[in-house]
Amino acid sequence: MNNKFPEVKPDGFTPEEAAVTMRVRVFVNMRWFAILAIIFAAVIASTVFHIGFSPLPVYIICIFLAIYNAVLWRLTRNLTSEQTGFVVPRVKHYLYTNVFIDLTMLIVLIHYTGGIENPFIFLLILYVILAGIGLSHKTTYFIATGAFLMVGVMVTLEYTGLISHINLEGFMPPDQYKQASYIVAILVALAVLLYSSTYLTTAVSGELRKRQRQVVALSQQLLVEKETELDVSAKEIDKLEEEKKRFLSFLGMAAHDLKAPLAAIQGFLWLILTGYTGKISDKQRDMLDRSSRRINDLVNLISDLLDIPRIEAGQLVQEMKDVSLNELIKRCADDFSTVAKEKGLDLNVEVPETMAKIKGSDIRLRQVVTNLLSNALNYTLWGSVTIRATETELEQRVEVMDTGIGIPPQELPKLFYDFFRGSNVSVKGTGLGLAISKRIIEAHGGKIWAESPCPETNKGSKFIFTIPGKS
Amino acid sequence: MTRKAKILVVDDDHDFVDVVKTLLQGESYDVVVAYNGKEGVAKAKTENPDLMLLDIIMPEEDGFLTADELRKDPILSKIPIIAVSSFSGGDMGQPFPFEVDEYVMKSAVTKELLGKVKTHLERKGF
Repeated sequence: MNNKFPEVKPDGFTPEEAAVTMRVRVFVNMRWFAILAIIFAAVIASTVFHIGFSPLPVYIICIFLAIYNAVLWRLTRNLTSEQTGFVVPRVKHYLYTNVFIDLTMLIVLIHYTGGIENPFIFLLILYVILAGIGLSHKTTYFIATGAFLMVGVMVTLEYTGLISHINLEGFMPPDQYKQASYIVAILVALAVLLYSSTYLTTAVSGELRKRQRQVVALSQQLLVEKETELDVSAKEIDKLEEEKKRFLSFLGMAAHDLKAPLAAIQGFLWLILTGYTGKISDKQRDMLDRSSRRINDLVNLISDLLDIPRIEAGQLVQEMKDVSLNELIKRCADDFSTVAKEKGLDLNVEVPETMAKIKGSDIRLRQVVTNLLSNALNYTLWGSVTIRATETELEQRVEVMDTGIGIPPQELPKLFYDFFRGSNVSVKGTGLGLAISKRIIEAHGGKIWAESPCPETNKGSKFIFTIPGKS
Repeated sequence: MTRKAKILVVDDDHDFVDVVKTLLQGESYDVVVAYNGKEGVAKAKTENPDLMLLDIIMPEEDGFLTADELRKDPILSKIPIIAVSSFSGGDMGQPFPFEVDEYVMKSAVTKELLGKVKTHLERKGF
């Protein structure tokens, strides 16, 4: 009944209740055996050994014991339906009553089977040992003393003739119970055996119980330690989350503070270039134009550089909601329609009317599509750029195909590296666009790759990314 | 002769305010300037502008709070607001937590801003 933790057992008992109830049930079960053993011994003694005694009282006592045990069995069986909390005092009460009745019955039985002549008198020790296993020290010594006193009273009453002595004919001489030396010897032996076995059982069971308590205490201590460790880990996770938040807000402020002065510079340059401040020479215009472009590059670089740690810190996950890729693609393509027209390129948008929504960051996926379209248009001098979206149950797939300069095969594997720039491109860029796109797509659980030449047209290149479906 | 449209520019960046002011005055708009959110709300009350350009990141009362305050006022809430910031969408990490009528990035302030200013003022009959 030793539980690892003092929890309520499934049947609704606390460990103490379970323990005490189990003891009563063990006693009930053992009593059945005892009754059978007594009847068996009486039968053997009278029929096999022809010992002269009347077995009738023995059978009567056995019948009484059986009735009483059956009642007890019923009482303890119904305990599970009892309200917990009342169980312990009630069962303890049963237990003490048990012990008293058992001892009395044993003494009466011994009286009717020869009294002090009956060697089975030493079976009292067995009873004390059983009691010692389940009950407290004090109770066990009390039972041992009670048993000894009862024997003493029985012997004295028989010795003084106040109750009649039943002689085991053919087993003991009829006046054996009057021999003082014999009586003293039996009583001393009984006392010594009773108390020594009480001492031994209580010592052993006490030690066991002590160990049991230690195990329980230890497991509780371990549990507390584990809980403390969990607490510490949870706090550390909170701290890391807090730090991540601070880091992201720091990046946000850094982005703002780096871009703000550049925005002012760009604004001034634009005002001068568009003639709001008066006429400028062609040479001045050229230089201001170049300054403006370089500042534009710098703004893009700052955005890209700050995007990488932001995506890696998992900001994206916070931004995720339901996104319709087809609508997102249409909006992005609209933004590029003017650029395409200016360059004389066909911009084909082949997306289904409806597509299942996916979980994603609208802003970041737009960044990817914009990046791919912008690259395709930048590196295509004539022909067309096509963006196509398709979906299966498992994933949604977006392809951007162009008829542009293509990608040298040896550069295909390096395409998504940070700061990588193709050897055949002259258009300025940060070299981070595709690296960021890869991070964004991977943060969505998808894949991005490139093929060149585009398998469909055998020209230019094709960029493909996939995003897993919502389920 | 119709009245000139009045635009309130709220931004703590003096240089940027000058850029916008030069641009809008060049387009013959009346320009009123405020250098922080509180001043912006006060000027919105006294000047009764037709349109507001509102910076987002400002010390003390930022654009979010200013817009909130304006939206609570039954009269001021009718003024269209164009949020202007060097924040890009990615910097924010999410869409703006308050309702603005339009959002323009400072790096695209020029043509785009002018276009959006014109659209909003046309809606008001200018």
